Amino acid sequence: MCVECGCGKNVPFGVRVLSYLAPGLLKPRATAEAVATVNPEPLSPLTVEVHASLLAKNDLAAARNRGLFAARRILALNLVSSPGAGKTTLLSRTVDEFGREHRCAVVVGDLETDNDARRIHRPHVPVAQITTGTACHLDADMVARGVGALDLADVRVLFIENVGNLVCPASFDLGEAVRVVLLSATEGEDKPLKYPPIFKSAHLVLLTKTDVAAVLGFDLQAAADNIRRVAPQAQLIQLSARSGDGLAAWYDFLRTHLPP
Amino acid sequence: MHEVGIMESALTVVQRHAAERKARRVDRIVLRIGTLAGVEPEALRFAFDVVTRGTVAEGAVLAIENAPARVYCPACEREFTGEADSFIFTCPDCHALCGEVRSGRELELSRIEMS
Repeated sequence: MCVECGCGKNVPFGVRVLSYLAPGLLKPRATAEAVATVNPEPLSPLTVEVHASLLAKNDLAAARNRGLFAARRILALNLVSSPGAGKTTLLSRTVDEFGREHRCAVVVGDLETDNDARRIHRPHVPVAQITTGTACHLDADMVARGVGALDLADVRVLFIENVGNLVCPASFDLGEAVRVVLLSATEGEDKPLKYPPIFKSAHLVLLTKTDVAAVLGFDLQAAADNIRRVAPQAQLIQLSARSGDGLAAWYDFLRTHLPP
Repeated sequence: MHEVGIMESALTVVQRHAAERKARRVDRIVLRIGTLAGVEPEALRFAFDVVTRGTVAEGAVLAIENAPARVYCPACEREFTGEADSFIFTCPDCHALCGEVRSGRELELSRIEMS
């Protein structure tokens, strides 16, 4: 499912910008070779204690993103979930409502198509679609290129909608201040128990599509209990982007996390 | 399933060290993988065989050390090791659920043994 199938081919990803400001495709940017190596005293000339992080390159790019967001006083959120948990619907409504109060920008990742970017795009909301080709997650460099294509003037909140996947995005820091994991009422209540690393890394968990929970026999209480057991560090908000229930709490969360 | 990409970045570092030291072959590579790193050791092994084929590291032994989760309990002001095979961390003293993970997300290349 990824570039990672071992075929040896590097499928390039693309960035398409849906913005009244900066349309078109981005030029690729050179990436720095940046694998940190610490080599105190080798045991023998041919044994090396390396202790190199295998994600050093991504972590460096993430730190750069974080610096940019901090300097521009932008709250960056990384939204992660299974495909179909409601990320795009939530963002569409959020930019319509909350986006009138504070300027928002969106970077959307998908394997193919710019459908999500088209759904979210509004005249007041710069949106960049990143197509990852076959990659199952966004990495920090892709986000840097997506963000680089947007006009960030007066933007206070950047939503990064990750590729729908509850596994791989857990390992990749994008430079966000807040990681949001969505679990929808159309999934299983035990998903947090099945995919613990991503829930462990969440600052906020959104239990979405609460309006259809009863119809589907989805036990909201059981899901909330599972989230609290696996991710006691995370705040939990239950909402429905369709009915509007719980959205006020989500907007309050955004307001309280805006950089001063 | 991004294990191939991770093994490729490990191989890049291994090849550089092997070239610097003019090693004929790589005998053993040691990785340290945290419980919460989100990668599957079995998938890493599979990826290792694939990406090392035809390189100086072909046939090397891949050793994977597990780094358990270290979790902090704010009530007891102590750190404890999360139980293996569980992602629900409760303090051994006060039994409260604890969410402050201090380590356990490591994904590193620890050592390369060459000859």
